[in-house]
Amino acid sequence: MSWRESQMPINMEEEDSDIPVQSRPMETVNAILEYAKLERSELKPLVQNIFFSPELDNDHMTLMELDSHMLDVILEGNELVIRGDKDEMAVLCTNEKTYEVKEAEISNDLLITPEVLIGKDLDSEGDPCQTFSQVLSVLHTYYELRECKPRIHKLKSLLEENHYSGRESERDEKHQGRKFQFEDFLEIVQASETEIRAGLRQLQACQIEGFWRLLDFDYLCQVLNHIIQLCEENDWLEAGIPLAECLLPLEELFPRSVIEHTLECYSRTRQEVMQSFEGSERYNLDEDKICRFFAELTLKNSDKFNYKEFLNVWQQCVPDGMTTSLYQIEGMCLIDKIGGIEVIWYYPVEELPEEVADRFEALFKTREKWTREEIIPYIKDLATDKTDVGALLTKYARASMSNGIKMFNSRKTTR
Amino acid sequence: MVQTVISVAGASADCPEWVLIDLQGSLETRHPVPLSGRFVGDLHFTQKDVPILIIGHHILYGKTVHLEKPFAVLVKKERSADTSMETDQNVSGTSYHVKALIRRKLLFKTRPKPIISNVPKKL
Repeated sequence: MSWRESQMPINMEEEDSDIPVQSRPMETVNAILEYAKLERSELKPLVQNIFFSPELDNDHMTLMELDSHMLDVILEGNELVIRGDKDEMAVLCTNEKTYEVKEAEISNDLLITPEVLIGKDLDSEGDPCQTFSQVLSVLHTYYELRECKPRIHKLKSLLEENHYSGRESERDEKHQGRKFQFEDFLEIVQASETEIRAGLRQLQACQIEGFWRLLDFDYLCQVLNHIIQLCEENDWLEAGIPLAECLLPLEELFPRSVIEHTLECYSRTRQEVMQSFEGSERYNLDEDKICRFFAELTLKNSDKFNYKEFLNVWQQCVPDGMTTSLYQIEGMCLIDKIGGIEVIWYYPVEELPEEVADRFEALFKTREKWTREEIIPYIKDLATDKTDVGALLTKYARASMSNGIKMFNSRKTTR
Repeated sequence: MVQTVISVAGASADCPEWVLIDLQGSLETRHPVPLSGRFVGDLHFTQKDVPILIIGHHILYGKTVHLEKPFAVLVKKERSADTSMETDQNVSGTSYHVKALIRRKLLFKTRPKPIISNVPKKL
């Protein structure tokens, strides 16, 4: 066996390759030490004779670099799943997180030696002795993992194949598209279980008869309007909605899961509910969510809306006692000045590209210059622990001062 | 989409810990013979725990490195043809098993020193 460094080929010692497996006379070991001018007393008594395994196999063993989360997952005995089609970059998912997998190539020889002991674990004194250790594999690659954003955009397009518009409509032509159960998403979407569940929640998908569906917007309007009407009749806006009493009249009209889902989506979070009502099943409609909904209803199907008029119409739509406010609709619409008149129009962040570069391009196509306050609602969902909104702006936008206000525009010179 | 499962042994808290030997260079024989079963070299540790690897006529001094990011050793398992008939088509034929963890390696990155022996006797 010989040792070769790129610029330094070295003659090998013929004799060694003839030595049969796992036999290495101590005399030979000692003789070599002598030639190497190494003193026995300076060494720990144990010499480990390294052999290639008779079943040396470089194809079935792989190394994967772990971060602390992955290490914990493995130590807890949980499974990991690699997801991806041949034409996609593979991702590795734990229950919670998604990682990009990259194969790193190295010129070093990595020898996998299960039995090798390190110096710290060896006795310092005693008679010289020897052990045999096998090299199971010689590797020149390992897998590098990098935590990434889940590739969740597929979820939306899948769900949009077949919106739910009520029991009666299920049979008609418009509702024959594909429907999906949770397991189906695991097969199609490159994200972890937790991330897929979060994605479904964010898209306000509802589980109806075992399938995950998006409610058709008009249908959702009907459900929500019925709920609000009941609230106004029974004075539940303040006191909270008792689930059983709310279901009674509505269950004739809508599936129970749809009513519960709508209550979940448009109420304050469960935790807040629990605190105020000590566990009783009551829902409190969330003012911000309801106001946002009515803004969407008003703007969704209209073109540019006179801003002042919109503010009036919007306030009139929402249930009595609720107050509309601009922060409720950030990331949903833009306000422009056209010929001295302020107009508002529907521009939801959900419909913009998910890739960071594409997102910025779309934004700068829509509007050449943005203030920081204007653009943040449209990019904050792209921020990660490592790259915050500021870093995104630095990388993908160019800042300039205009009338004393910092504005952001595209980094691309030709547009 | 293909899902490939990486399973972890039942009692993974006792997942064995292996050691990696990292050689800056590569091992080869003069003639293209399979490496299987062949002798690599003698690994010694000094009293100060410096690893010394003697390969052929060369002596390498290394150091023990604690890996900032540990490695998992994965073993690929190809499912045999008869069992794959029953399984889900979307689960790929291969799966991986976490065999061991590697938190320490012996890194030999210095240029090997030749053992100068003007000794006529063969070793």
